[in-house]
Amino acid sequence: MQRLGDFKLPHFFNYPPYFTLQPIRETREKQVQLWKELILDYCRTQKIFVIGLEEEFPLFSNPVIERSLSHEAKEAFLSALVSEGRAEWMDRGHKRCLILWLRIQDWADCILRFAKDNGLEDTVMTVEEIRSGIESRGTELHGMDRTVLMRALKLLEQKGKVAIFKGASTDDEGVKFSL
Amino acid sequence: MGNLLVKKPKVTDVDRAILSLKTQRRKLGLYQQQLDTVIEAEKQAARDLIREKKKDRALLALKKKKAQEELLKQVDAWIINVEQQLADIELASKQKAVFESMKASTSAIKSLQSEINLDDVQKLMDDTAEAKAYQDEINAILGEKLSAEDEEEVLAEFENLEAELTVQDLPKVLASEETIQAKKPEIAKPKTVEDNDIDEELVLPDVPTKAPVVPEVVEDGSESASVGISTRRKVLEEPLPA
Repeated sequence: MQRLGDFKLPHFFNYPPYFTLQPIRETREKQVQLWKELILDYCRTQKIFVIGLEEEFPLFSNPVIERSLSHEAKEAFLSALVSEGRAEWMDRGHKRCLILWLRIQDWADCILRFAKDNGLEDTVMTVEEIRSGIESRGTELHGMDRTVLMRALKLLEQKGKVAIFKGASTDDEGVKFSL
Repeated sequence: MGNLLVKKPKVTDVDRAILSLKTQRRKLGLYQQQLDTVIEAEKQAARDLIREKKKDRALLALKKKKAQEELLKQVDAWIINVEQQLADIELASKQKAVFESMKASTSAIKSLQSEINLDDVQKLMDDTAEAKAYQDEINAILGEKLSAEDEEEVLAEFENLEAELTVQDLPKVLASEETIQAKKPEIAKPKTVEDNDIDEELVLPDVPTKAPVVPEVVEDGSESASVGISTRRKVLEEPLPA
């Protein structure tokens, strides 16, 4: 089986037809389904949050069978994810796509769990710290996309679980947990 | 955001101070990274200059590198300071929280205690002691009565048991010496006054030779025996009141 780094690729990755958008509806639906799962799976293990359609993306081409996805196909698969709420277009031109292998709600739960596990009630953390501090090392939060993190935090703020605040103008944004 | 009913955690000045320190810590970390790259670059430059035999320039690069390294050390010290202050501020705010809750609990204890008058407590304790003494007295009296009753009961039970035991003993005698049993009521009655079963048995064997005079009585031997016992018991009880 072919691998991408430490990621195990599925069998269909070696079948050329899967790299061409299928004209027949039924086969196409199956193809889209498989690609959707593959994209989410890959992004999750590799901690990839943004896919640029015009940039090289290892998953969208298979040098072994000399096939790669057309722009149209990429957009079709990602749009399928967008319609399911597992991805979002970051611009109007559909050039960059935010992949949500965890939904914002799941990320929010993840943050809460992290705060509880580390006894962070009433503690102040900077947003940067959550993403890259020593506290979050080894958790899913480490290396998290900033926009996704901010949205999850905003969701928590609406529920009264955290307060997002700014200190002096040059300071980072702070998060205070109240659980 | 939007929902006004949600209670947001309150952000205090302390929180802002912590945020500021944490921001500072991160920025110092970035500054260190920057210094590291500069040092690395100067080192590389010095190497290149030495290769090009430009000694003065190489020395200058090394001096610059040295200065940057000093700066790096300084930044290290700052970071330690910032960390220290962060720990201090967190500790102090925890201390304050502990102090506040202890203060609250002390005033709660005081207000509870103010509701209790010492004299009242003394009086209450005296009353309790009095009540207890009274209760003890009642118990003593009741206890006496109960014990008298108990004694009677025990005595009655003792007699019942004794009677049972004699009934159990009797059949043996009946089986071995029926004829004697027939005579027994006549002989036994006078003896009962002495109340000695062993004596009865010892005395009885002397009279066996006579022919059975009253066979009907023998058939109801056990009955007559129990009657005998019951009469004996009455005899026993009679002396007591007297």
